[in-house]
Amino acid sequence: MTKDVMMPQESMHTVQSYEQELEQLRSLINKMGGMVERQVAQAITAVVEHDEVAALDAPEMDPHVDELERQTEALVIRLLALRAPMAGDLREVVAALKMSGDLERIGDCAASIARRAMRNELLSCPISLTGLHSMGRLVQENLRRTIDAMDQRDPELARIVWQSDTAVDELYVSLFRELVTYMMEDPRNIGPCTHLLFIAKNLERIGDHATNISERVYYSVTGSILPIIRPRGGTFD
Amino acid sequence: MNTVLMDNRPAQAQMAPAIAIRNLDFWYGENHALRGISLDFPTRQVTGMIGPSGCGKSTLLRILNRMYDLYPGQRAMGEVLFDGRNILSPGIDVNVLRSRIGMVFQKPTPFPMSIYDNIAFGMRLHERLSRAEMDQRVENVLRRVALWGEVKDRLNASAAALSGGQQQRLCIARTIATRPEIILLDEPTSALDPISTARIEELLDELKQEFSIAIVTHNLQQAARCADRVAFFYMGELVEVDTADKMFTAPHEKRTQDYITGRFG
Repeated sequence: MTKDVMMPQESMHTVQSYEQELEQLRSLINKMGGMVERQVAQAITAVVEHDEVAALDAPEMDPHVDELERQTEALVIRLLALRAPMAGDLREVVAALKMSGDLERIGDCAASIARRAMRNELLSCPISLTGLHSMGRLVQENLRRTIDAMDQRDPELARIVWQSDTAVDELYVSLFRELVTYMMEDPRNIGPCTHLLFIAKNLERIGDHATNISERVYYSVTGSILPIIRPRGGTFD
Repeated sequence: MNTVLMDNRPAQAQMAPAIAIRNLDFWYGENHALRGISLDFPTRQVTGMIGPSGCGKSTLLRILNRMYDLYPGQRAMGEVLFDGRNILSPGIDVNVLRSRIGMVFQKPTPFPMSIYDNIAFGMRLHERLSRAEMDQRVENVLRRVALWGEVKDRLNASAAALSGGQQQRLCIARTIATRPEIILLDEPTSALDPISTARIEELLDELKQEFSIAIVTHNLQQAARCADRVAFFYMGELVEVDTADKMFTAPHEKRTQDYITGRFG
């Protein structure tokens, strides 16, 4: 699939202001990527370490991420209208628009995780957070590599991260089973376990948005699409 | 798995191409203007030709109806197969060829005569028609190019009085009046305003039901809008040819990518 990959172009546009606008678009997306990466890290710290500062930090960054998404959308519309981008430029501009949407959703998921982190049910919860911790670390790692692939326009890295989301799915399914078991054992676990389930679900969603971004990076750089069916891990059957 | 956009056009691949170029080379004196070109012009499709000035795209168009014959020192080698024959061979009747392969130029070139006679002129050369038949044909072609409503009350007025866009549509009408199989257009809208341009583009969409069309254009958006297939030429070579979808979203060659994204300097 990668044999006819067209590598990122080094040549510059004859019209320099066009080049500058594309550069501006890249920098907006990179900034957004950095910001949601931090949001997710803070959200996971908040849950695993009961860190109050981190729990407040992630939701507070949300409006800034939203603002960057709005700026990206405005710039993309401007580029489409005034520059009529073609080929690799067109793919990059459309990818930026779609990736900004996924990044914004990742930010929302992180904020939602952080908001649950400091709830009393969880702070006094006897249930081990080890499973959630490993899932969090994995999602964070995948997101970091996705954003690296995005920054470096690296289709091969994008493809690898895209495939590695299966491990996140598997962890989610096993965590789901574990939490349901706790709830069946003791109804007093239902409160904290429900919150933990939502947290796990949000982490799983973050992983999915990261794979969407990998797909965009791959298409934007190579002009080829990854298969529609992504390998998935874990099953509820 | 290399394209994103589906090719929804009817399967015409099996149909023999209207024109098949094989290993074509062309010289302006010492200048080797086209090198080893092999390209098909599919039947009843629009083939767009793009590339920087001097890349050979207009030269290629001029070869297709043997316009280069008019100039000494210009010669072509290779094959241009049209209806089973090589049109480069000396035995070809150039007048018949040009009635079967019509051409429209960058600047509208109405003859210095009435609107009616501009259309009738070519038909009189090739066919013997009664006045009533001629009137009918003139009306038909003017309707086809959507000019009838604008000129029906002044058919005997000079064509020079028409606007640029109307003159260009008149030239297309004149070209299709002799019922060619192929229409060649060399930057047909570069001298026209956006509304006239849109009318010509709409007309191309309509005409391709019946004719095979080759269009040279510097306007990439126009190639994207009008052409089914697009060929990119650079320095006398055919770099890449593919569907317009593929060429403008994910071209294969770096040179194509650089040209259509504006990176050639």
